[in-house]
Amino acid sequence: MPKHVAFIMDGNRRYARKRQVERQEGHTQGFDKLAETLRWCLNLNIHEVTVYAFSIENFKRSKDEVDGLMELAKQKFIRLLDEQENLKKHGVCIRVLGDLTLLPLDLQQHIARAVVATRTHNKCFLNVCFAYTSRHEIANAVREMAWGVEQGLIKSSDVSEALLSQCLYSSNSPNPDLLIRTSGEVRLSDFLLWQTSHSCLVFQSVLWPEYSFWNLCDAILQYQLNYRPLQKARDQHREGQTLQQHEADRAGVADLLQHHGNGKPLDAQKRQEALLNYTASREERVQDFLGALQHKRDSFLTDLTSQAALA
Amino acid sequence: MAIVYEFVWRVLHVLLHIHRTLITWFRIRLRNWNGQLWSRALTALLVPIALSFPNQKKLVLAPGKRVGRRYRWGADGKSLEKLPDHIGLLIAEEEPRYTDIANLVVWCMAVGISYVSVYDNYGVFRRNNSRLMDEILKQQQELLGLEGSKQLSVEFLNNGTDKQDHQVVLCQSLLKVLSPDDGKLRIVQAAQQLCRAVEQREKTSKDINVTVLDSLLRESKSTPDPDLVLKFGPVESTLGFLPWHIRLTEFISLPSHVDVSYEDLFSALQRYASLQALENKQTAYRHITSNLTSTPTHSDSLLLRNVKGSPGCLCEACWIVRALPRLGCIPAYEINNDNKNRSC
Repeated sequence: MPKHVAFIMDGNRRYARKRQVERQEGHTQGFDKLAETLRWCLNLNIHEVTVYAFSIENFKRSKDEVDGLMELAKQKFIRLLDEQENLKKHGVCIRVLGDLTLLPLDLQQHIARAVVATRTHNKCFLNVCFAYTSRHEIANAVREMAWGVEQGLIKSSDVSEALLSQCLYSSNSPNPDLLIRTSGEVRLSDFLLWQTSHSCLVFQSVLWPEYSFWNLCDAILQYQLNYRPLQKARDQHREGQTLQQHEADRAGVADLLQHHGNGKPLDAQKRQEALLNYTASREERVQDFLGALQHKRDSFLTDLTSQAALA
Repeated sequence: MAIVYEFVWRVLHVLLHIHRTLITWFRIRLRNWNGQLWSRALTALLVPIALSFPNQKKLVLAPGKRVGRRYRWGADGKSLEKLPDHIGLLIAEEEPRYTDIANLVVWCMAVGISYVSVYDNYGVFRRNNSRLMDEILKQQQELLGLEGSKQLSVEFLNNGTDKQDHQVVLCQSLLKVLSPDDGKLRIVQAAQQLCRAVEQREKTSKDINVTVLDSLLRESKSTPDPDLVLKFGPVESTLGFLPWHIRLTEFISLPSHVDVSYEDLFSALQRYASLQALENKQTAYRHITSNLTSTPTHSDSLLLRNVKGSPGCLCEACWIVRALPRLGCIPAYEINNDNKNRSC
């Protein structure tokens, strides 16, 4: 069974046209369907779900629609805060991935409160991508690493695939096992491009508000059929990553010895020692940097919550 | 109860396997049957011609047929509403067949696609680059004839170093051979480059954004992102194919690249064209309807004139065309009732 499923909840507007109701009603039905789907996932022992709620591209839609969606999100986050007891009982941890600074301030504050309140829960995880695109996420991760270099916490030679993954908004989650897109579109639309490179992709033509338990089962069956080849591809990729890291470390040591050495060639044992030292100090630097990064992100959220409390 | 659920799940698995096997078997049988039928029909037509003309004609017929096919493929490409500028061929199968890949590449170029990328997640094509190139050149001659091949300029693009770049210009098309190293690793290398610039105080971290990273990851300004990726094989995944570049790429799956036919490729291209036509219409109408209260401009009217709303179709474009006259914003354009059965 997949442990982490990602959904692109597409088709709310088409559903609204089909039912001849307001667009806003389509989005509301979509939200209700999300709540239902989360319950199904919990019943199936899928403990982590990531959803694509609002893309940075969606800001280009009409002002009315964007305002409506912001209002809907605000109401839902306020509702979530009211249900804190329930969330605590089920151990639901809510995370919001994206560039929150692009959202209206009051919505940012509500989001911060919800995230901080559920931070310590660890039974199941809901990641909501709001004001998110994958390219922004990757560029942001690179920017954070550059910040680390600026602060003297890491060196540019410490930059690796693993470190970049740790700097993404989704650093606290494993990669999704399964990505489901509804409404028949066969694109990824800038969603989790880095994290889904070895995930099972399932494109279903059903509209999101009409999603049923059988659609979910169908997607899971697809995942199970693709499990072995994907596992193999993932393992192979990880092996390649490890090899690349070894090579990079070896090159780093060679560079270091050239600059600081006294010209005498080292024997194999001393070389091995130098390599181990280099790797250990690199890993320490990286841990310190990641700690500082986490602290920066936590402070941002706590500042927002204290602003909200004062207001 | 859990045992019952497990049993039901296993039954579903078995049914799905049978379903898949039947579909594949049926598809192969149908293709062979069709192929046999066509070749038998053609033979029946050609036998009298072959018998009545001297032997020389038979030799002339073969290259003639090849030239005919080349023009037909070019015409096919022009007949599509939209051709992808850049197509990716993702081989998600264990044993790649070089001849079939070469055929696909030659057909893509003949149809008029400017950029073709070939990818497999083991990096096999990259390592056996020269073998793939030889096979492509051979298939070019085979499929396009000597005349067609002469018009091609085959260049191995060199980036100035001794290392041979994995790009080739063929027939005014550019072929790229990609491997997983062109995906995440390339992004990491770009990140290292930017961090080094920050280390050397040439840049600050605040200078880093999507545009800067994009320009580093784009090999050349003119190479577009892949519009369409054809995935061959049963594995439902991108398997590490260019994560940065596929944000708006359409994915169409085909069962296998082994013995793939031109018709398979063309029907995938047709499907892509219809998806794009829908997308373009929706963009045009979104632009118009976001300014509904303002007076429609002359160009808005022209845009509307070219598209007809099919009754009963749920796509945004058709819905808006039907709604606008009622809203009185724009003078009513005839909704062509002949389009009733046409899919949007």
